[in-house]
Amino acid sequence: MANVLDLRRRIRSVKNTRQITKAMKMVSAAKLRRAQERAFAARPYARMLASVLDSLVRRVDIYEPETGEDKHPLLAVRPEKHATVVVVTGDKGFAGAFNTNVLKAAHRFLNDRADVELDLEIVGRKGRDILRRSYATASIAEDRELEHGTAPRTRKARIEIVGEHAGMFEHLTFEKAAHLAHTLVERYIAQETDAVYLVFNEFQSVMTQRVVVDRILPIKEVGKQDIASAIEMEQEEREEMAKAARSSGVSLETEDTREADEEASKFGTAQVDYIYEQPPRQLLDGLLPRYVATELYHAMLESVAAEHAARMTAMDSATNNASDMIDAYTLTMNRVRQAAITKEIIEIVSGAAAL
Amino acid sequence: MAEANSIRVRLVTPDKIFIDGTADSVSLPSSSGYFEVLYGHAPLLAELGAGEVTLHGGDVGDQQFFVAWGFVEVLPDRVTILAESAVRPNEINVADARQQLQYGQQLWNEAGEESRRYAEANRVIHEAEQRIASAEGAGQST
Repeated sequence: MANVLDLRRRIRSVKNTRQITKAMKMVSAAKLRRAQERAFAARPYARMLASVLDSLVRRVDIYEPETGEDKHPLLAVRPEKHATVVVVTGDKGFAGAFNTNVLKAAHRFLNDRADVELDLEIVGRKGRDILRRSYATASIAEDRELEHGTAPRTRKARIEIVGEHAGMFEHLTFEKAAHLAHTLVERYIAQETDAVYLVFNEFQSVMTQRVVVDRILPIKEVGKQDIASAIEMEQEEREEMAKAARSSGVSLETEDTREADEEASKFGTAQVDYIYEQPPRQLLDGLLPRYVATELYHAMLESVAAEHAARMTAMDSATNNASDMIDAYTLTMNRVRQAAITKEIIEIVSGAAAL
Repeated sequence: MAEANSIRVRLVTPDKIFIDGTADSVSLPSSSGYFEVLYGHAPLLAELGAGEVTLHGGDVGDQQFFVAWGFVEVLPDRVTILAESAVRPNEINVADARQQLQYGQQLWNEAGEESRRYAEANRVIHEAEQRIASAEGAGQST
């Protein structure tokens, strides 16, 4: 058996580790709280945009007299031959199964659509590192962004990575999300892709999270998610999450937002005839791409919150494990020490008896 | 609420509710020109271009904000502005705006025959010019 000195060293080392995981847990909890607030503050805008768009789409017949096409290109549904998948992962590890879960959902989705050509847009360093191993990177000319609809590029494989956005979460702004959304919208309008899916970790509260595949283009119904598949959290995970949140002082309840939400959803929907300053078609042109950007931004904010929640939980169980380990080692150490003392006493006693 | 003839003004950005207050009148940069809203205005929906939103005689005095793109709903007693970004004119980063202007001019030069790219370039240039003008109006040295 190991001697007392070795055990004491081991205990000291585990204690140090516990201190680190505990600190990381508290940091994640603080970041989670901030991320939650941000996601919450971003809601009025998203709601208002969705409701005004919804009422605009419903009130106005948008058709082009010459082509007879009755819809905005972003509302048009085409048969799905080519789809773009945006995978939102985190930039950092140490967050339990957070990245794995998103990637698992993404893999499953990609394998389910065996007859569709798929392009991947990857957000987050972790996702990039892992997906790069299994999929080829598309060869895209430098100035391709400007030359939509010219020649279709030659594909190396059915699934290709077309864009990587690592380090986006270091300082997440709406502009960054809007930029990516702009690229997606352009591609959709140029008919290079027939659908855009978003794989991300949805975060409603600490207790309500799931990994979803959400179709953001074409826009089927404004203000509603178009969920292609979802993986709910397991009961066990949920309990762990709740325990970690409680021990680090993060409230489990989401703030009551119903009143504010209701207010926001009235935007642009009053029962009056609005004067449209610009032609409705022009309003739609401005609003629809922004709606896509808002959805993307929102998904990213939620993903950030979920990542912090996952890290907090992972660090909480790491801290608990470290405590258990220290207890076990302390017990062994005491036993070993006692054994040594007993052995010495026996030696003395038997030595005395031999006299 | 304040006295009868004031309107409730809210300016909402993707990040937060930027302001929520009252004013006697609001002037707004619609994408087809500035217009002013007083109490009792007819219901209106308009797209905002780059320019300044000004609140006159509000509960916190006159206020100005620069918005790059936005959308506004006007109801008789209420004005709600959705703006992609909003800053006070004295917080505008002039160096950034100049860079944007250059980028716009570069786009304009490269646009070639495509009208869509011209429109995009013009939009970028217009936004940058408005931004610089707004900063200068606030007394920022250029």
